[in-house]
Amino acid sequence: MSEKKANLGKVFMNGVITENPTFRLVLGTCPTLAVTTSAINGAGMGAAATFVLLGSNIVISALRKVIPDKVRIPCFIVVICMFVTIIQLVMQAFLPSLYESLGIFLPLIVVNCIILGRAEAFASKNPVVASAVDGIGMGLGFTLALTLIGCIRELAGNGSIFGINVLGTAYQPMLLMILPAGGFLVYGLLLGIINALTNRKKGAAKA
Amino acid sequence: MKATFRGGVHPAHGSKRQTQALAIRDFVSDTVQIVMNMNIGAPSNPCVKKGDHVKIGQVIGEPVGALGIPVHASVSGEVVSVEPLPYLTEAPAMCVTIKNDFQEEWEELHPLGNVETVDPAQIIPAIKNAGICGMGGASFPTHVKLSIRPDQHCDYVLANGAECETHITCDDRLMRENATRVVDGLRAVMRAMNVKEGIIGIEDNKPEAIAAMEKACQGREGVRVQVMKTKYPQGGEKQLIKVLTGREVPSGGLPIQCGCVVVNVGTCAAIADAVIDGRPVIDRVLTVTGAVREPANLRVRIGTITADIIGECGGYSVDPGKIFFGGAMTGLCVPNDGAPVAKSTNGIVVFSREDAVSAEEDPCIRCGKCVDACPIGLNPYDMKISADVEKWDDCKKKHVMDCMLCGACAFICPARRWLTPSFKIAKQKIAEQAKKEAAAK
Amino acid sequence: MSLILSSAPHIRAKDNTQRLMLNVIISLLPCVAAGIYYFGWRAALVIAVSTVSAVAAELIWQKLARKKVRIYDLSAVVTGLLLGLTVPPSAPWWMLVIGSFFAIMVVKQLFGGIGDNFLNPALAARAVLLASWPALMTAGYNVGRFDAVTTPTPLLSSASTMDLLLGNVTGAVGETCKIAILLGFVWLLITGTIRWEIPVITVASACLLGWLLGTDPLTTVLTGGLLFGAVYMATDYVTSPMNRLARILYAVGIGVIIVLIRKYGSYPEGVTYAILLMNIAAPLFDRIPVQRIYGHTKAKKEGK
Repeated sequence: MSEKKANLGKVFMNGVITENPTFRLVLGTCPTLAVTTSAINGAGMGAAATFVLLGSNIVISALRKVIPDKVRIPCFIVVICMFVTIIQLVMQAFLPSLYESLGIFLPLIVVNCIILGRAEAFASKNPVVASAVDGIGMGLGFTLALTLIGCIRELAGNGSIFGINVLGTAYQPMLLMILPAGGFLVYGLLLGIINALTNRKKGAAKA
Repeated sequence: MKATFRGGVHPAHGSKRQTQALAIRDFVSDTVQIVMNMNIGAPSNPCVKKGDHVKIGQVIGEPVGALGIPVHASVSGEVVSVEPLPYLTEAPAMCVTIKNDFQEEWEELHPLGNVETVDPAQIIPAIKNAGICGMGGASFPTHVKLSIRPDQHCDYVLANGAECETHITCDDRLMRENATRVVDGLRAVMRAMNVKEGIIGIEDNKPEAIAAMEKACQGREGVRVQVMKTKYPQGGEKQLIKVLTGREVPSGGLPIQCGCVVVNVGTCAAIADAVIDGRPVIDRVLTVTGAVREPANLRVRIGTITADIIGECGGYSVDPGKIFFGGAMTGLCVPNDGAPVAKSTNGIVVFSREDAVSAEEDPCIRCGKCVDACPIGLNPYDMKISADVEKWDDCKKKHVMDCMLCGACAFICPARRWLTPSFKIAKQKIAEQAKKEAAAK
Repeated sequence: MSLILSSAPHIRAKDNTQRLMLNVIISLLPCVAAGIYYFGWRAALVIAVSTVSAVAAELIWQKLARKKVRIYDLSAVVTGLLLGLTVPPSAPWWMLVIGSFFAIMVVKQLFGGIGDNFLNPALAARAVLLASWPALMTAGYNVGRFDAVTTPTPLLSSASTMDLLLGNVTGAVGETCKIAILLGFVWLLITGTIRWEIPVITVASACLLGWLLGTDPLTTVLTGGLLFGAVYMATDYVTSPMNRLARILYAVGIGVIIVLIRKYGSYPEGVTYAILLMNIAAPLFDRIPVQRIYGHTKAKKEGK
């Protein structure tokens, strides 16, 4: 039993750190770049994606022995659509401002590579509990990454975090950060830093 | 505007000033160490043994193979040793060392007479028997170069008086002092190959040589002087042919394929000596310059040791850091001053310690100066990229085999990239690979 | 005796990388002088801050990345100077520091250091600053000699030709005095640091297209950053092509895009983006095989 728990722990940490979808797998970059203009947007998108990921992983895992191999992709998409529709309607009802700012990227979660990717790579081959944990892990990793990028971009480009003005009125915001170019820059630099640190750790481990 | 070739650089012209005005003087040392493989081709076979007494002009090395030429004793005296000795930085080479008895005893010579009246069919055998090879540095057996196949046709004989390399002034002085001999040699080649036009190409930084040669050409059939713009490497045979005749040597081919034959003016003089006086190659003019107390243009016997020559020039003026044979653009470094003079040694240059140190390689700044400098039209920076990662096939695609290793790109490079050495290695590797593939077939 | 054995050539031309960069710095001195003359101490501060922070950025990066410290090759100084000369004199010091750091650390060092930057570092930094703080980058600066205008580079010029030539107008620190730029150009040509093709063809093609579209060539040349960009920014070694035909195409491209942006684009000044676009295209141009190699011809030469 404890071995299974250890495994689940490993699956969870895999999603958050080792195979972080944004910084290690580099999946789902489209919403990453588009939505992280502010921290709250980033967090909101991450939460929505986590919900969809969790739900679709569970369902697909439960049905994994039933779905025929040849039509698995359309089936996955249908399941994912179901959950995206749910979260979309919920957000429209209870978080209208977030719904407005996420705009088209909310329905685009359907084709988010992370969700389809995990469905294909993990949920369709593993039991339900493990898939659920994977879903949570990946979703959490995604959310943390998006929130981080969102914080940076919002701080530099607007002087605030989560809407709270932190840097005062004397601060001249760096407008580039709110623009797509800034998104690429921040994402790229973060990827570079993380790669450099990981390589240095690997190098130290080898030595 | 004088015609010139594309690319090229202008290295250290001031380097010639030390010796330009110095007349040639003779120097005979007390020992000579004559190497058996001074020319391209198989080493000659020594035909004397220790203890033999030899005369000047006596054959001491028999030619071997199609590219072989005889080697002659350059002094009279006793053969001290016939053994392999260290030679430059290559493997030990068979050398005949003779102790000069200063008697200046000559072997019997067989002169043929005036070049204008001698039987043309006798000229090329005389060149072979005299042991003449390219004196401008190439050391290719001259009689082989001049013996063209029946399906080949020669329109021009070009005498190379460009001397575009830095530091060297021996050809300049030779043209000033022995202009008639040079023209005689050129005429001999023209008659031997039945060619109507002979052009002597001289760079415009040698006005006295131009005047002397023009005077010597007066009244001689079919020869003329053409003045060329001073630029390195004007003396490269490809560039010489292009500027003097407008033709180009096909890639990977020889000058005869575009109807031209190029001979150095020193070689011309040696040919004249061989035909008119029957004299074999036993000495040559070279320039000694750089960090020596009394730079000079010396006529030395083949096989004279560098240390003796430097001694004749007053010794080193500072602690030497580098000694190389030839000019600074393509010269070959020697490991010590015991190296002997060969038939193609045209200069001995000594660098002080601080001049000798090579600058460190910096990253390429993509300035494109190497592309502008290349006389062949290659992209050195591009070839270097492939050479650095040892992708020889890519190098070959980028035409590194066309590189003439003139050094112009490495000279001009602001980042001091080691371009020419990389290309030398690349060409060697590609040639090795080709040999392996040919052997495998 | 111990002699050094090395491969030929044994001599080198006297110009090394540092010398070339020094030539560029010297050629920029007239612009620096003109900038300080017209805009006062503020201009000197701007230039100083951007230069020092560029060198600092390179030093910090090379120390952190444990690479050989190469600030002695003066390329960071050139980048800093160029950046300082292309911002308005009212630029705040922190903006220059950020710009310099971006130019050196991101555009140059991240991509491989000297010789590997994919864009002109100073120009890329200027583009980033322009996108980040547009108001600060387009502010006019009034020293009492002329009326301040909102655009830094008067393309709708009410100034006389002489004023434009001498630089008696608003603008970036170094871009206004055209005579200073021309002096620098001459110095660069004399010392063999740049080739004449890129600046001349850029300006010529911009003037030609401008004239075809109805702008007086003199206006095209004398207003805005065209001259400065053509002489200093477009000629950056690393980001301009190596082959002659490629260089000509590159220069024509820059000239054309500048005029198109000025005429039909919503930006008042097209030089920055034109040059950056062509920087990216330069390697593509270089792939055009043009140089005929000696000895390679289609026709057979005579002489069998």
